[in-house]
Amino acid sequence: MVNIKEYTHLMKAAIEDFRRNKVRTALTSLGIMIGVMSVVLLIALGLGLKNYIEDQFNSMGANLVMIMPGSGISGGTGAGMVGGAEFDERDVNSLIRIPNVKYVIPVFFKAAGVEAGGEKKNSYIMGVNEDYFRLMNKELIGGEEFTKSDVAAGTKVTVLGYALADNLFENPTDAVGKTVRLENLRVKVIGVMEKTGDNEGDNAVILPYKATYGSLNPKKTFWSLYIGVESKDQVTNVKEGVEETLLKRYKEDDFSVTDQTDLLSTVNQIFNIVNSVLIAIGSISLLVGGIGIMNIMYATVTERTKEVGIRRAVGATQRDILLQFLTESLILSVFGGVLGLIFASLIVLVVRIFFPAAINLLSVLITFGISSAIGVFFGVFPARRAARLTPIEAIRYE
Amino acid sequence: MFYMIKLENVFKSYILGDEEVVAVKDVSLTIKEKEFIGIMGTSGSGKSTLMHLIGLLEQPSKGKIYLDGKDISKLTDNELSKIRNKTVGFVFQSFNLINRFTVFENILLPTKYSKELLKFDPKAKAEDLLKRFGIYERRNFFPNKISGGQQQRVAIVRALIMGPKIILADEPTGNLDSKTGEEILDILGNLNREFGVTVILVTHEHDIAAKTKRQIYIKDGQLVERYL
Ligand SMILES: Nc1ncnc2c1ncn2[C@@H]1O[C@H](COP(=O)(O)OP(=O)(O)O)[C@@H](O)[C@H]1O
Ligand SMILES: [Mg+2]
Repeated sequence: MVNIKEYTHLMKAAIEDFRRNKVRTALTSLGIMIGVMSVVLLIALGLGLKNYIEDQFNSMGANLVMIMPGSGISGGTGAGMVGGAEFDERDVNSLIRIPNVKYVIPVFFKAAGVEAGGEKKNSYIMGVNEDYFRLMNKELIGGEEFTKSDVAAGTKVTVLGYALADNLFENPTDAVGKTVRLENLRVKVIGVMEKTGDNEGDNAVILPYKATYGSLNPKKTFWSLYIGVESKDQVTNVKEGVEETLLKRYKEDDFSVTDQTDLLSTVNQIFNIVNSVLIAIGSISLLVGGIGIMNIMYATVTERTKEVGIRRAVGATQRDILLQFLTESLILSVFGGVLGLIFASLIVLVVRIFFPAAINLLSVLITFGISSAIGVFFGVFPARRAARLTPIEAIRYE
Repeated sequence: MFYMIKLENVFKSYILGDEEVVAVKDVSLTIKEKEFIGIMGTSGSGKSTLMHLIGLLEQPSKGKIYLDGKDISKLTDNELSKIRNKTVGFVFQSFNLINRFTVFENILLPTKYSKELLKFDPKAKAEDLLKRFGIYERRNFFPNKISGGQQQRVAIVRALIMGPKIILADEPTGNLDSKTGEEILDILGNLNREFGVTVILVTHEHDIAAKTKRQIYIKDGQLVERYL
């Protein structure tokens, strides 16, 4: 066993040695540092991606059930364009009667140009009702939302997405009070939403669904229906109720009912693949770092074989030699690993300004363990070879 | 009769490719406590190999070696290391100092490997020895910044720091000019006379061997009656 006194001596000797060989020390630590840093960073980015996607879903409202035309979420948009159910106010009225349903929001959706003061921009027109803002957690940075009576009367007012307001006017909030034109329809801007980061939301023109009746939506139909459920645990029951209600009017393949968990599990499947790829890339950089460590350690021990012989000649045991190199490589590995972690954390801190990257303790521990193991293995392996030579063989080694 | 070192029919051979090189052939030899002995022989006769065997830097292929009463073939690595550390001091022709270490650090190196509590203060003893051998001023120098004679003195101090019973000096003057060589030989003679250290001196020069009290001759790995 190594006693404390022997160990402090070994540590001191190792640190003294690093001071003597700054370049070698720096290079070895650098290898480990880069390995640890890249793996921790890649995993942090992977987790960030997951957090980002989950945030996006949560911002849509946790108790959301979506009804789409067609038979599945993946084909939803396309199917809606070519076939499947076309929902209308009758569906809204029958769905609101299902127990525990808090909101039913008709969603008319159309990509169209919007004009103001001679400028024309692409936008996504969404005809909805006043509950949309609550269900989707939309906040305004200026003006106000339209009300229930605006929806009932089909008042020609709109709330713009942040990017659209910003592109059409000097300041996004300048939009409030101005008039914009959607094809032949003139509507007054009464509010601007805060920035969301998703393209559709930031370029939305949101207006009372009845205001779209006419040239925009002559058939008075909706692309989708959003349902707000009173609480999360009622989502499954509500979905069943919705399906039952809609089956009275449509065929099974003409609509699909999805909620967050369906979407999230699909997203999680994708995320797991992305994450595996990131971990694979990270492992490669750890391996490359490991080979770097191996080379330096190997060169170090080889270059110091004569020294090993001299130490043996004055009384060092094989174990003394092994412990010396073990201590050195352990310190180098831990030092390099800590540096890698610090750099990774700093980078993650900066990245977090734009993207919810996150450092995961388990990944840190595993990475740290692997890089230290590589450092120690390749530090001790050649040292063992040197220690096993007879002292005179080691002294004569060139 | 008490012996310090005893060799019984010792062989040492090396395999070089398909060839077996016999460096030491059937050597039997007894060296008593406090002897000052010279081992003479031409280059390649096996002197160094014999010294390495006595100093436990390698093991014989055949035969027995007893050191300070112990059969060394029966010892573990830890026990062999302990003898190298405590009982034997080696002085090489090419000094074999660690160039990354200062003179002082080189001298203290054996004390780091003592598995027993030292009965002396290593630093105080090192300073004392450095002063005695006139290299105290050089204690913070690196070996390649001092003269050959000074380096050999450092090596001698390193060999002495643990208070050994035996000093093995393998052509210690081989890399030095004759005046410096004389000084080193005087130091070794003194160690034997004043401190009773058993000194074995290997050389191929007659006038150097003449300084020792007894000479042994080796030729082609075998001990011979004096030749020439
Ligand atoms: N490690 C070795 N491998 C092969 N041959 C060796 C080795 N060491 C010594 N020899 C051979 O053994 C013989 C004696 O060498 P050595 O003991 O160094 O002689 P000396 O010191 O008297 O000059 C020489 O022929 C030398 O070539
Ligand atoms: Mg020789």
